[in-house]
Amino acid sequence: MPLDAIPVVVINTSENSLAADSGLSGNAPVLLREIAALAQRLLASDESSAIDLRALPLTPADLDWLRETLGQGQVVATLDAEGESTLSETVCPGVWWVTHHNEQGAVASEFIEVTYVPELLKAHPDDVKIGLEHLELLISDLS
Amino acid sequence: MQGPLIDSLARQGVTRRTFMKYCATLASMMALPPAAGRAMAEAMAAAPAATKRPSVIWLPFQECTGCTESITRSHSPTLEGLIFDAISLDYQETLMAAAGHQAEEALHAAMKENDGKYLLIVDGSIPLGLDGAYSCIAGKSNLETLKEVAKGAFAIVAMGSCAAFGGIPKANPNPTGAVSVSDIIKDKPIINIPGCPPIPVVMTGVLAHFLTFGSLPEMDNKGRPKAFYGETIHDRCYRRPFYDQGKFAKTFDDEGARNGWCLFELGCKGPVTYNACATVKWNGGTSWPVESGHGCLGCSEPDFWDAGGFYKALSMPADPLKFVSTAAVVGAVAGVAVSFANRGKKGAAKSAHETTTLADLEK
Repeated sequence: MPLDAIPVVVINTSENSLAADSGLSGNAPVLLREIAALAQRLLASDESSAIDLRALPLTPADLDWLRETLGQGQVVATLDAEGESTLSETVCPGVWWVTHHNEQGAVASEFIEVTYVPELLKAHPDDVKIGLEHLELLISDLS
Repeated sequence: MQGPLIDSLARQGVTRRTFMKYCATLASMMALPPAAGRAMAEAMAAAPAATKRPSVIWLPFQECTGCTESITRSHSPTLEGLIFDAISLDYQETLMAAAGHQAEEALHAAMKENDGKYLLIVDGSIPLGLDGAYSCIAGKSNLETLKEVAKGAFAIVAMGSCAAFGGIPKANPNPTGAVSVSDIIKDKPIINIPGCPPIPVVMTGVLAHFLTFGSLPEMDNKGRPKAFYGETIHDRCYRRPFYDQGKFAKTFDDEGARNGWCLFELGCKGPVTYNACATVKWNGGTSWPVESGHGCLGCSEPDFWDAGGFYKALSMPADPLKFVSTAAVVGAVAGVAVSFANRGKKGAAKSAHETTTLADLEK
């Protein structure tokens, strides 16, 4: 059997969009399909979900690629709680990039949340009650 | 989500959102699915407030204080620190203000008052050689102290590789006859938190579990909490894709090393090491050994010091010619550990002592 008959195709990775030297592992693009599936689930059953980016074998370059590909949407919220957290919507509404920093400024955890509004942003009824009491205090001070 | 813990945290100026963020991060570190963060927050918040903070006694044996350093350094002023406040640390030689007789009094008072209920943390191995004379506190050998304090403990946490597996003091030729806590105590639940030192948040994670559920977390066959030691460094390493693709750094300064390729051929012990460094990282989440370009030493595995060279790839035999004699010495050392110091074996241990040469480091 001639060697040519063996169907082996050599792909030069340096010409590939995921260049070998760029630090990309090739694991990031598949996440887009998972996010799409989670978005479909959100629409179909109102079910929110999240992907823990720290739990996946992603290189720093993979994360940069994913962040850049998903882009920046209209909403960015920051939370000041033992270090800053940012919750920013990507160009795909309902897909949020959530980064929690610790007090030293390092990333403590990082998620992609697929939800209408991230749980962390909503005010809890108990906290609203405390706020209401404060408001009533303010009003009583007026008179 | 409401409960005594939330109320008590609120009094300390910790908001609900801070707590939820903490739980989300903790779930991520424990390799739990993201949804578990919320479940954990609810469970922890709803946990009944203890009328009294649970008593914790921390005994240091043959150790270097690295475990204490690790835990104290990265905690204050984080939320972990606040949760740490939820316990009453009644005896810890390095941290307590008391010394001498007063310290020993505090220990005995805590043991008496919380009999059967306190959590005992041990760091360091226990030397059995020369009737335990290698390490004594307040005129008692570590062996005596451990047996006495363990009697009234609810559970024991063996903190660090020395307490969990014997660690560096037990390394060949084990001159002091060092053994682990579980070699001595057989009738109490023991949770091993190995590492040299262990990751601080693993400790708080176990404490949080203890405070929340009043029990110890699920453990593997080496007595380690599965949440943190369930997967290997290799499984969760960000360089893993390069291993799968067969891209390896061959030296510490070649192109592969610069491209961040897999360090397997440079001796990384990640594939056989169960720990959470790859996800939790070190120094407040700044970095970890593999991220800074050095392979994993496997410090949380039993006998890591004698595993055949930090810079030898796992697929290489450690030293096939010496294997038989080393095995005999390991057997002899185990014998020493069980039957106290046996002077007849001392000569054998001495002759088996190997020094590391530059050639070994370069493999």
